[in-house]
Amino acid sequence: MLRKEQNDLLTQTGPGTPGGRLFRSYWIPALLASELPENDCPPVRVKLLSERLIAFRDTQGRLGLMDEFCAHRGVSLWFGRNEESGLRCPYHGWKYDHTGQCVEVPSEPDESGFCKKIKLKSYPLIERGGVLWTYMGPPEKQPELPEWEFATVPPEQTFTTKRIQESNWLQAMEGGIDSSHVSFLHRGDLNSDPLFKGAKANQYNLRDSRPVFEVVESAGGLFIGARRDAENGNYYWRITQWVMPAFTMIAPRGNHPVHGHFWIPIDDENCWTWSFDYHPTRALTQDEVAAMRDGKGIHVKYVPGTFRPLANKDNDYLIDRAGQKAGKTFSGVEGIAMQDASLQESMGPIVDRTKENLVSTDNGIIMARHRLLRTVKALMDKDVPPPGVETAHQRVRSAAVVLPPDRPFVEAAKDALIVQAGVAHASV
Amino acid sequence: MQSESARASSAVEARFRINAPNSRPRAIKIIALDRPSEGIVKRLAQQATWGNATFLTALAGTPAQGEPFSMTGWLGDLAGHTKDLLNEINGADQVVMIATAGEPLDAVSIIGEACSLKRVMTTALILSPPSAPDEALSRSLTQLRPWSLMLVVASAEDYIADMLVALRA
Repeated sequence: MLRKEQNDLLTQTGPGTPGGRLFRSYWIPALLASELPENDCPPVRVKLLSERLIAFRDTQGRLGLMDEFCAHRGVSLWFGRNEESGLRCPYHGWKYDHTGQCVEVPSEPDESGFCKKIKLKSYPLIERGGVLWTYMGPPEKQPELPEWEFATVPPEQTFTTKRIQESNWLQAMEGGIDSSHVSFLHRGDLNSDPLFKGAKANQYNLRDSRPVFEVVESAGGLFIGARRDAENGNYYWRITQWVMPAFTMIAPRGNHPVHGHFWIPIDDENCWTWSFDYHPTRALTQDEVAAMRDGKGIHVKYVPGTFRPLANKDNDYLIDRAGQKAGKTFSGVEGIAMQDASLQESMGPIVDRTKENLVSTDNGIIMARHRLLRTVKALMDKDVPPPGVETAHQRVRSAAVVLPPDRPFVEAAKDALIVQAGVAHASV
Repeated sequence: MQSESARASSAVEARFRINAPNSRPRAIKIIALDRPSEGIVKRLAQQATWGNATFLTALAGTPAQGEPFSMTGWLGDLAGHTKDLLNEINGADQVVMIATAGEPLDAVSIIGEACSLKRVMTTALILSPPSAPDEALSRSLTQLRPWSLMLVVASAEDYIADMLVALRA
């Protein structure tokens, strides 16, 4: 349960809000690099943290992310002409460079210098790991570039997609650290999904559907360990990483790629769910990439030409009641991603947390909220930089390991929980 | 035409959700397992008006060395009165055990047994400041793991109050 003012604090991320200031402390994913595939390609509308923006790649390959609307009469620059190192409004020809600086106002004499007085709000946009990242905070506090492993391995080892989720970011993110739902909602997928099946670990999961959880604070957020009995009195651990505010990474299975998410607010009622799969030491196989493109694992199929999932609220998520009754899926919705999203969207755009009844196994969620609330307070009251900004907090991995029964998993699996170049992720 | 899911999940429809209580207060027993945790539990008890939470300590009535454990007359309330363990557990929906990394946790197995017998959910919370040595935490984990269905390792005590509020204690 959260009080209304606490819920508002964490769910509102527009300009001037405490939660918005938190998100504006980080580099966040804004677009797939493939959305701006070449110089002078069409501009793309972007909405992030309740701000309407336009992204473009200019004639020289420079990336721009700025206020969507022309400073003259408020026309959307989505209609703009991306040419000759700038984006030109088609209405009266005002032109902007990649920093948002107006460089031409055709109706005014060049000598007047009028255009120098016009500048659209803009944010840096950089490419890393097939993703375009932006930082929307004060320039003087811009952190080091992001170091998430999925974005730093060679391109053939990583695959990233994004999808629109029609709910607030927090209820989406909380699904990523809610390990106890897996045994119910996704129970049909462990042995059938090509990106999960075949791992030895699946046997531990299926043998023991009631894991015991341990939640431990990390420098950047939380470790959430799910413990099951293994052979010889040892424990099988699945360790999820949560790095503040919106990064989650799920424990791997066998030699499958490891995967995770970013949950980035579009506005207070919608978010981008970014989904990545990567392998630290080998290229993804053709079959793996084909499965990801086909919406398997944590990815989805799309409404063609959009980032909206094919199964969405407008078609009742293509719910299959016969399949649900037959046990093919637990909820009637196909695919891990939409099984989660359908339920999270059903809560309403911003779930009313004053009415919920959390239980002990929700301690991962309780602790995450606790840390978020305290981090926002420290940021607002004392300007303390939040966890997750430091690149050391980003160089982390989830892990699946078998450990002796008396060891703290954080200490026993210490090496497995951080990035080690050239070493595969710890998996069972 | 809008689908049923699209209409039902809209902000407009959220206004029509039933605004009535959907749960009754849960009886939660918060038990300090060691001396430093006793201080924390006392502070917690004074910190807010708790609905149906009972703050107890495992120190009162701890049997002298060599004497067998007994499930009766074994807990103490914060005023120092002895409480019957089984009676306390009987009326509980949940037991939260508070421990400090490295402190002796003699009481945990007997409380755990009682909860197991009465099918009461147990959560253990270990306070382990960043300076606490790994061995201290390891000792606490070894004792708590068999008796906890949820275990939290927190660096500061302010988490406990937030957890209790979240659990509607």
